[in-house]
Amino acid sequence: MTLGPTVGGGLKLIPEEVQDWLVLLEIAADAHQDLASSFAKLMDEDAMWDEIVVPELETEFGAQKKHVLQVVRKARRSNQEEIIIDVQDADLWYGALNQARLSLENQYRFGAMNLSSANDIEEREARSAYLRNDFYLTLQSLILRYIKVN
Amino acid sequence: MKAVDAPVHQSETSTTSQTTQPWSVVIQDDPVNLMEYVSRVITRVFGYSREKANELMMLVHQQGKAIVWRGNREEGEMYVSQLHSAQLQARLEKSR
Repeated sequence: MTLGPTVGGGLKLIPEEVQDWLVLLEIAADAHQDLASSFAKLMDEDAMWDEIVVPELETEFGAQKKHVLQVVRKARRSNQEEIIIDVQDADLWYGALNQARLSLENQYRFGAMNLSSANDIEEREARSAYLRNDFYLTLQSLILRYIKVN
Repeated sequence: MKAVDAPVHQSETSTTSQTTQPWSVVIQDDPVNLMEYVSRVITRVFGYSREKANELMMLVHQQGKAIVWRGNREEGEMYVSQLHSAQLQARLEKSR
């Protein structure tokens, strides 16, 4: 996959192989953790986070995943050669990627492993997850670098 | 926090000093959120200067957590909800 900035201030993704499309489709699937509820656990009961804030966060986080999934599916179905992340949807992409990385970290604890490369991981599923996480991190860094988020 | 593309500015600015305020907004470190992103979120949510936001971000990274704001509960909850929306580990604590 080739990634790079556009003259319009966005970011261009050019998937070149089947695996490139699959990893883009995995973003929403990897973002499976109930993040909104996990944040509620940081608050005391008096804040009524579950009743007031969690539903809003669920809607927001769900919209991020849905947007990315729809864009990638549509691009693949219509044989688009590239996907453009514009300023307008950079926050949605960044949020979906962040959800995916938070979910993977919650599942695999890569941050505590002190790994130098994916080859340090013996288990195939975890190694694959590590590589996806690394790709998501790269994409997030490029979004921050080339597109103004927040 | 992940140290990717993270600008590290040295600054003499201290953290919030209104110790008499009853509630504190605390951000906890995590291994996922990028340092640059955390700094941008702090700037956007609290309206701090880039230098102050960078200093608070570094405190979170180095100490594992940092108080980023002090004040009343209602306003603190509003800030925490914005930090949760940005997917940062934040909570509200009663100041001692």
